[in-house]
Amino acid sequence: FLGECAIKCVGANTYGQLGQGHGEDQFEPQCSSHGLQRSLRVITGGGGHSVLLTESGDLLVCGQNHKGQLGLGHTSDVMTFNLCPLPGSRTVHQVSCGWDFTVILTDDGQVLACGSNAFGQLGISPQIKHTAKPLLIKSLGDPVISVAAGLRHALAVTGSGRVYQWGTGLSTQARRLLTPQPVPVHFTSKEPCLVPGLDQETPHRVAAGSAHCVCLTVSGAVFLWGCNKHGQLCSTESFLALPTLLDQSLVNGEKVSAIYSGWTHLVAQTESGRVLTWGRADYGQLGRRGPSNDSAVAGTDVSYPVTSLPFEVRTLNGATQIVCGSEHNLAIVGNQVFSWGWNEHGMCGDGSFGDIIQPQLIPTLKSFKALLIGCGAGHSMVLCCQKNSEGFVS
Amino acid sequence: MSVFHDEVEIEDFEYDEETETYYFPCPCGDRFAITKEDLENGEEVATCPSCSLIVRVVYDKEQFVCGETVDAPMTSEAKLEVAQT
Repeated sequence: FLGECAIKCVGANTYGQLGQGHGEDQFEPQCSSHGLQRSLRVITGGGGHSVLLTESGDLLVCGQNHKGQLGLGHTSDVMTFNLCPLPGSRTVHQVSCGWDFTVILTDDGQVLACGSNAFGQLGISPQIKHTAKPLLIKSLGDPVISVAAGLRHALAVTGSGRVYQWGTGLSTQARRLLTPQPVPVHFTSKEPCLVPGLDQETPHRVAAGSAHCVCLTVSGAVFLWGCNKHGQLCSTESFLALPTLLDQSLVNGEKVSAIYSGWTHLVAQTESGRVLTWGRADYGQLGRRGPSNDSAVAGTDVSYPVTSLPFEVRTLNGATQIVCGSEHNLAIVGNQVFSWGWNEHGMCGDGSFGDIIQPQLIPTLKSFKALLIGCGAGHSMVLCCQKNSEGFVS
Repeated sequence: MSVFHDEVEIEDFEYDEETETYYFPCPCGDRFAITKEDLENGEEVATCPSCSLIVRVVYDKEQFVCGETVDAPMTSEAKLEVAQT
C-alpha cells in the first residue's frame, strides 16, 4: 500500500522545505524522499519548514532551521525529512508551524515549542531567544486539546475550555489601532495568557493568521480577534481587542464545523459541507470572483475594506480536507486535490505562475487519489496514491 | 508604479545587527529586507530576494536620520564647526 504512495511537493523551496534533497523551487509536484515509509496523519509547514506527523505520533521535519524550528538540536537547514526526537519519548497529537517556530501538542495534552522566541512566541522563558530542542510550556496548567501558531504569536485551547494566547506579534498593531484604548495583556504576553471573553463558551479549536486569532466552539460558533486590515474579521473596526462572535447569518445560518486561516484570509466549512471564504482577495485567496470589496494597498493611499463578507465557493462543497498557505490554499474534494490563490512560486502546482482565482484540479495529480494535504507559507504538499493501486480505477 | 503587497511599520521589522538590515516575513517564505543605510537615505521600499512582492516601510524619516546623527561619534573639531554655524 505505502509503496504506491508518495508525498508530492511543489512551490518555494529556498531552504529545502519540499524534502527533495535540494533547494530549487518546484513548479510541478515532485516526490519528496520522506525516508521512513509510514502512514501520516498531518502534513503542515511554516515560513520555510515542513512537518509530517505519523500515525504513530512521530514528527518528521525538514527545511529552514536557522532558529532551531525543526527541533533537531541544531540550527542547520535539512533538505530531507528527518525524525525529530522529543524529550521523554512523547508522542504527538497535533502540530502547528509558525513563521520560524513550531508548536507541538503531545498525546498527554502537553505543549512543546521550538524555534525563534524573539517575540515570546514559544511561551517559555523570555530569556531564551531561540531553542533547537523542543521545550515544555510549563505555565499551561490544564491539558491542551488544540494549538495554533501564527507569524509571531500562538494559541492553545485547554480541555477545561480556556483559550490562551502568547507572543507579542500583534502588540504594535494593537497599540497603533486601539489607541487611546489600552492594549489587553493577551497581545503583549510572552507566556500563555488567558484570553478573556470566552468563559460562556466551550472552545474547541484555534487557528492563527499573520496577525489575527480564531476560535471555533463546540457549538459551531466562530470568535475572531486581532488585526482586521483585510476584512478578515468581518468587522468595521480595524482591530478587535476581544474575541468577537461571527454573526451566524453570514455563514448561511449554519454551524461551522471547521475553520482554516491563511495569513489574512479565512476559510470555513459549515455542518452541511458548504465552504465559505472571506478576507484578503487580491491574489485569488478566496477562490471566487466577487462579491468582495477588498482593495489592494496601492501607492501611499491605504484604503481598508469596510468589510469582506463570507461567500460560498461551490466547487469546494463537501471538501474532506482544506489547508491554507500564506496566500494560497489546497482542498480535497472527491479524493482529488484543488488549489487556488497566489502562485508566483508555482505553489498551486499547475506549472504556471499565474494566480488561480477559482479552485482548479492540480493537473498532474489527476491520476492519483489524494489522502492528505498540507501547506507551508509558499509551498504545498500532497500525500497521494496511484489510483489503480487501490483497484478503484482500472 | 508597482503595487505594494502591504505597508509595514518599521517597529514590526526584525533588525539584524550583523547585516544592518531590517527584515519582515514575506508570504513566499523568504523575507522583505531594507538596510539601515537605505532608510537613512529616505528609501521606503523593502524587497524580497525570492519574489516580486514589495512592501512600503512606514517610518519617520526625520526621526530616523536625526537619531543616527545623535548616535554618531563626533570629533571635537566637528562639534566646534557645529557650534560656529
